[in-house]
Amino acid sequence: MTKIMTLICERSCDLSNQVDSQSQFKDMPGCYVVKFPCSGMIQPLMIEAALKNGADGVVVTGCQIGDCYFREGNKMIRERLLGERPPGLKKTVDRRRVIGLWLSKVQPQRLLKEVKDFKDEVAKLAAPEATK
Amino acid sequence: MAQQQKVYTDGLSKMMQWIEHYTNVALTSKYNPFYYHGAIPQFFLWVLFLSGLLLFGYYIPTIDSAYSSKELINAFTSVDYITNKIPFGNVVRGIHRYAGDAMVLTIVLHAIRVWFTDRYRQYRWLQWFTGVILLILVLFIGQTGYYLVWDERSLVLTRMTVTALEAIPVLGQALKAWFINGSAITNLTLSNYLFIHIGLSFFLLFGLWLHYVRMARPVVTPPPVINYALVAIVLVFVFFFPIHMEKMAVLTTQPTEFEMDWFFLWPYYMLTKMDPTTYWVVISGITLFFTFLPLPFLVEAASGKVEPFDPAEVVGDKCTGCSLCDKDCPYEAIEMVPAPAGSRFKLRATVLPNRCSGCGLCVGACAFDAIDLPEQPDGEVTNKIKALLSQS
Repeated sequence: MTKIMTLICERSCDLSNQVDSQSQFKDMPGCYVVKFPCSGMIQPLMIEAALKNGADGVVVTGCQIGDCYFREGNKMIRERLLGERPPGLKKTVDRRRVIGLWLSKVQPQRLLKEVKDFKDEVAKLAAPEATK
Repeated sequence: MAQQQKVYTDGLSKMMQWIEHYTNVALTSKYNPFYYHGAIPQFFLWVLFLSGLLLFGYYIPTIDSAYSSKELINAFTSVDYITNKIPFGNVVRGIHRYAGDAMVLTIVLHAIRVWFTDRYRQYRWLQWFTGVILLILVLFIGQTGYYLVWDERSLVLTRMTVTALEAIPVLGQALKAWFINGSAITNLTLSNYLFIHIGLSFFLLFGLWLHYVRMARPVVTPPPVINYALVAIVLVFVFFFPIHMEKMAVLTTQPTEFEMDWFFLWPYYMLTKMDPTTYWVVISGITLFFTFLPLPFLVEAASGKVEPFDPAEVVGDKCTGCSLCDKDCPYEAIEMVPAPAGSRFKLRATVLPNRCSGCGLCVGACAFDAIDLPEQPDGEVTNKIKALLSQS
C-alpha cells in the first residue's frame, strides 16, 4: 500500500471533517496527517524520518504564502524545501516524493485532491531505497 | 496548543476567509492586498512625505504680511498659488489630501484585519498599543493639515479646537496657549501649526520603529504593482473630485459651516453634538478602550490564571550555538548568549519567554533537535510519524 504522510499547519486547511481518529484521511487508507502549530515547525529531519520509516511521499502544507499567523513560518519551510535556507533536506532525499502546498483554511477539498493525485504519482515510482 | 490561541470560526470570520480566498484566486497570494495590509499605510506615508515636501516648498505660514507688497501674501494665497499657478500644483495638493484619507482608511482596515485574525494581543501587545497611538497621531496630523490652508474651514476648526481645549480643567489655558502659540490667533499660530504638522509627521517614524521593533523582517513595502494601483486610485480621486478651497479666513468674520472630511474631521462633528467636557470624556474613553484592548489577556497571563503559551525551551547540552533559530525567529525572541564554562561551543541560544509566540519556527530551524516546544517536543512528533507509518 502506498503511504503518504501529510505534515500540516493546524491553521491551514480545516481538516476536522476529513480525518478519522487514527489521524488518517477518511476515504484514503494509508494517508496520514500530523498537525503542527505552524508549518514553520516542520523539520527537514522529520520529512527524512517519514521517508525512512515507510512513507512513499510527504506532503508539507502551510497557509497561503503571506498569511502565516506567526508571520513567516510557511515562507521558512518553503525556503528550506527549496534549499534556500538552512537546514535543508539531505541530498539523498528523492525530491519527487516531497511536495509543498500552501492552502488557506477554506481549501480542504483542494488538499484532498492534491494528496490523491500525489499518491497516484508516487505509486508509479520505484520503492524508496530506504525501505529496500 | 495553548487554549488562548483560539481560531475564530464564527460567521463574520468565515466570510472574511472566503473574501480572502477569492482575492487569492483572482490575484494570487503574491499580489493579494490583504497580505500587505500593514505595508499599504506605510506606502501612503512615503507618498505623503514626498507630496508634502513639494507643498512645503511654496507654503508661507502666516495669516498676513502687511508690510509686504501690494498683494497680500499669506498662507491662503500661497495655497491658492500652489493650486492655481504652479503646474500640477493642484494634483500634488490633491494627492496629499487623498493619500492622507487613504492612509487613515487603510490603517483602520489594517486594525480590523489584525483584530479578526486574532493577531493583536499576547506577545503582540506592543504592536497594538503603538498602533493605536500611531492612528491617533495620524488623525491629529491630518487635522493640522486642514488648519494650514487658512480658509474659513481652518478658522472654524481653530476656534472649535480652542473652545474644546479651554474646557479641559487645569491644563486648558496652557494647552490653548500651546495650540495657537500665544493668547490670540497671530502669524505665530500658523508657524506653530506647520511645526506640529511636519514635526509630528517625523515623530511617526519613531512610533513606527516601536511598532516594528519586535518583528524580524517586517513587511513594509508592498510589491510595486500594488503601489502603482494605489497611486492610480488616488489619482482617480484627484481628477474626478478635485479639491476646492473655501474663502480666505478673515479673523473678524464668524463662519459656521464647512465641507466635511469624514476621515479626519469626525471629532469636530462630535464636538458640534455635545458639550466640550462630554466630548473629552467620550474621546478619552474610546482611546483608552482601544489602547488597552489586549490588557485583559496580559493581566490573565501575568496572574497565572491562564497559561498564555508555553515558550520554546532550549535543550542546553544539544545547542551548538549555530544561531539559525536566532536568525529565523519572527519575533526576535531568541538571544545568543555566551555558553556556560565547559561547553564545547562559544554560544548558546536562550528564549525570551515574554516575546515567544510558541509557534515552533525555531524547532524547524534547528538541525540538532536542541530547541523544543514543551507541549509538542520534536522527538514526540517524530515518534508519532513513525508510529503512524508502522501501522498495517
